[in-house]
Amino acid sequence: MRAALHIEALTVGHGGAPVLRDVSLTVEPGHVMALLGANGAGKTSLLRAVMGLVRGDGRIHLGDREIGGLSPERRARAGLGYVPEGRRVFAGLTVRENIEVAAAGGAASRGRRIEEMFALFPALAEKSAERAWRLSGGQQQMLAIARALAMRPPVLLLDEPSLGLAPIIAREVFGRLRAIADDGVAVLLAEQNAARALMIADEALVLARGGVAHRGPAAGLTPEAVADLLVAG
Amino acid sequence: MNRLREMATPSGALLSVFLVIAGIALASGGDSYAIRLATLAGIQALLALGYQMVFGHAGALSLAQGALFGLGAYVAALVALSAGGGAWATLSLPAAMIAPALLAAVVGAVVLRLETHYFALATLALAQLIHLGAVNWESVSGGANGLSGIPTLSLIGADVARGWPMLLVTWGLVVLIALDTAWRRAGLRGAAQDLARDHPLAASSIGLDVARLRYVEFVAGAALAGLAGGLQAHVVGVVSPDGADIAVMIGCLTAVVVGGRTRVSGAILGAILLVHLPEWFRWLENRQLIAYGLATLLMVVLAPEGLVSLIDRALRWIWPRRRAPAPRPATQSAARRARIGAPAVQAWHLSKSYGGVRAVDDVSLRFAPRDTLAVIGPNGSGKTTLLNLLTAVARPDSGTVTLGGLSVERASADAVARAGLARSFQTADLPGALTILDAVAVGAHRQPDEAARDVAWRALRRLGLDAVAATPVGALPAGQRRLVEIARALATQPWLLALDEPAAGLSPAERATLADALARLAADGLGIIVVEHDLDFLARFCARGICLDRGRVIAAAPFAALRRDPAVLAAYVGDRA
Amino acid sequence: MMATVDTPHLLLSALALGAAYALVAVGFVLTLNAAGAVNFAHGDSVMLGGVAAVLLGVAAQAAGWRVPGVVLLPLVILLGAALGLAIGAAGFLPLKDRPPSAVFVATIAIASIFEQSATAFFGPAPRSAPPVWREGTAQPLAMIAVAALVLGAVYVVLERTQLGRRFRALAQDREMARALGIPATPLIAAAFAAGGGLAGLAGALLGHQFFVVANQGPGYMLKAYIAVVIGGWGSVPGALAGALLIALFETFVAASLSAVWAQALLFIAVLLVLLLRPQGLFGEPAGRRA
Repeated sequence: MRAALHIEALTVGHGGAPVLRDVSLTVEPGHVMALLGANGAGKTSLLRAVMGLVRGDGRIHLGDREIGGLSPERRARAGLGYVPEGRRVFAGLTVRENIEVAAAGGAASRGRRIEEMFALFPALAEKSAERAWRLSGGQQQMLAIARALAMRPPVLLLDEPSLGLAPIIAREVFGRLRAIADDGVAVLLAEQNAARALMIADEALVLARGGVAHRGPAAGLTPEAVADLLVAG
Repeated sequence: MNRLREMATPSGALLSVFLVIAGIALASGGDSYAIRLATLAGIQALLALGYQMVFGHAGALSLAQGALFGLGAYVAALVALSAGGGAWATLSLPAAMIAPALLAAVVGAVVLRLETHYFALATLALAQLIHLGAVNWESVSGGANGLSGIPTLSLIGADVARGWPMLLVTWGLVVLIALDTAWRRAGLRGAAQDLARDHPLAASSIGLDVARLRYVEFVAGAALAGLAGGLQAHVVGVVSPDGADIAVMIGCLTAVVVGGRTRVSGAILGAILLVHLPEWFRWLENRQLIAYGLATLLMVVLAPEGLVSLIDRALRWIWPRRRAPAPRPATQSAARRARIGAPAVQAWHLSKSYGGVRAVDDVSLRFAPRDTLAVIGPNGSGKTTLLNLLTAVARPDSGTVTLGGLSVERASADAVARAGLARSFQTADLPGALTILDAVAVGAHRQPDEAARDVAWRALRRLGLDAVAATPVGALPAGQRRLVEIARALATQPWLLALDEPAAGLSPAERATLADALARLAADGLGIIVVEHDLDFLARFCARGICLDRGRVIAAAPFAALRRDPAVLAAYVGDRA
Repeated sequence: MMATVDTPHLLLSALALGAAYALVAVGFVLTLNAAGAVNFAHGDSVMLGGVAAVLLGVAAQAAGWRVPGVVLLPLVILLGAALGLAIGAAGFLPLKDRPPSAVFVATIAIASIFEQSATAFFGPAPRSAPPVWREGTAQPLAMIAVAALVLGAVYVVLERTQLGRRFRALAQDREMARALGIPATPLIAAAFAAGGGLAGLAGALLGHQFFVVANQGPGYMLKAYIAVVIGGWGSVPGALAGALLIALFETFVAASLSAVWAQALLFIAVLLVLLLRPQGLFGEPAGRRA
């Protein structure tokens, strides 16, 4: 299940106007790349373009496989796990069903996936039979991640997972993300809270003014430096 | 004069269609059957013109048009029969129009608010009620047999005999209504109506009362359905529940979809085809009605704009149209609006929650003409929601907003725009087919077209778009469409302007141009509140700024100081918690 | 006095009618949920199901087979499913990126094609489909049994299988479902087939007592639509409850006032529901789906 995500010269339009121009990046298995930038900088658009939900021009490879021309459902099955902004769990399905619906294979293998996810997120195991709309924000976030992982994707895309979460819950979610990456998943994490993202990231990419403003190891980057790139002029 | 010139295209097509009808009637040696068919085609055309108002211009998929036609037929029949040739008989057609219009006025007041699928169901239920009444209220409607022996149309004592006189009256009415519709749709008024249908939010932001426009079209469409039904009663001499049947509705929908949803000539062409095609395809016997359904389906899938647009495109291909003349520069003498007594926006303790999350939390602010106020903050901090509360696009849970003497929290978005606060949105909703000049001039829809174009011309020049004024909006790169939308907001001649991410999608050079243009506008007295994430852009023209985080104002300061405020930095990149 | 004597019998007819309406309404709401669009030809699929039952019955008799109607039902369901697929292929798939009114108009056109075809080739006169098992009281009982069986199967598929879960996920958030690898188009096609099959079955069940007439499609359409509105737009159990409610209302009002009043009051009631309680009579789905 190890494979890297390569994006080359991706340009993303939004109703025709390019929001992002010419973005290239590589996320290696086991690594977390923090995708930083102010709102409107194009983080969400980049992830949506990688997922095939909006049009993007450029090359996207998953391992050796070019996936740029595929439909979203084929990209997902090729190995992209997606955790959208706002979580978007299936509100009327139970917690268990939310995970199972995304898992492939027969009932037995789906059952194993669910057990794996419950082991990773014990809080979800307790709520197994609850409808997803009854969960708290943090639990919904964990469910959205578990749902994306149910396919055992080599690459996980996350869009603002800490948005609207209390700091203590956000820390817990980010701790899990680090563990998931350490298991060999390539994680691309779009996050506005640079301080929090940099704590678990290996590399960072800062988007500003429609393009890449900075890239490099996360260790060399402080939130203040990011703030300078984003806010101060 | 200008408006007449703009009407040249639709009325030209109209004339040709009229000639075709007369031709058909004459060619068949004026035999009474041909005349009768041509008259029925005219009646269908009136019905279709009415349905265009509802479905085409207002965009409301009503399924009651056929039943309202039937109602008109019954009312005309009842009036004519009870008048017994007396003076009251003249009232048959007016009554046939008033009854459905009244019904539509009552029902429309409530059901037009509903979404498409609920609106369709509500109108279908209304149609079924009318049909049930026709079948079962025997003492009035004659039940399943209907009413027969309806006299010919009587106009102020003069009988309009079936045959040529009735044909002329019918088609005279068609021409009258078509000209009136073409007149009302010509130039910027039609463009404003289309905007209200396709982009209601954008339309209300330039002061168009979208709900009222829809209501007026719905009631007027019902009146025309009644008129058509009344004529039908006089022509055919009998009315029966079949006249209020769903089949009438489907025929009328077919005519409008096949001919064209919004083109006057499309309604007429569709109606003629509807009535005459079965005659030409008699060998199909009772299967021609299947062909109607197939034709409608094919048109919806393959040519949703209708036959008239197809013909238009073919003609344009054979004879390319001359380029529209470049708009001439505005007359400089056009008086500027006085800025004395211009209103300010004052918000007190605004709060708004969505699904338990406080999007805006206890925000108070004031901005007045000449102010330039930036609103910054991280994702989901409530910036757009704040603009929505200030412009009556959303209602606050608590708190008040005033704009001069207007209580914004109780006003409609269009009233706010008319009171002098215009706004732009994150998505620039512009009609692609118009020229840039006209798309902007729609913002000044309350003025005559010439004056509106003058205003638009000035707005475009301020934003550096005058060179492209004559090109269609659709040809513009999307980034620049944002500028056109801002120009349209300026064309409403506002005192205050609210902009939502105006720089998104613009190149660095375009951003600089826009910032400088906004700075000049502010210097001339315009008050600007702007949500934007490009702080360099804001720094070029904003004097003050506030930063929101989770709906609360966490910093308010002169702009240069704001972007160095520690609280702002923390909000953007997160504290180390 | 009469009413008290007839109440058990009335209740049985109401439940049988409600069972058939429930098939229609559930079929309608399944398509609605998957495609996000109103299939206006649904009522005419019911009518064509009735036509198929009549013609199959005639053919069986001509061939000298003495079989009860229930044997013909699987065939009717298959024909209905094919019809549903055709509606999806012609009236929805080419238009899925256009405004909802486009699908509306296209399926209205398909409805009129169905109705006119039935008029032309089947004739406008009412005809009766063979009973499910035998005449008399057995028919309403058989209707209830068949509908309960089929709706139970639908419930099991929706709630207990991966197909059903994927279908519900798609209904709630199509984009998110696709981003998780759930294929949208085959599921939408399946929903059109299921909707058509249920409609066809309902037509065959209704066709014995209530006859088959070429122009009855819009009436059934309206019933399904109303059931879904009062049950809460998009809710499957709501549609079922709405259908039963309509049947009870119709049967008992018709018995105590008249059939015409039953229709008229139903339409007035639905107008009131739309105006006063657009989320439906039973509550919350609108909020839950957000």
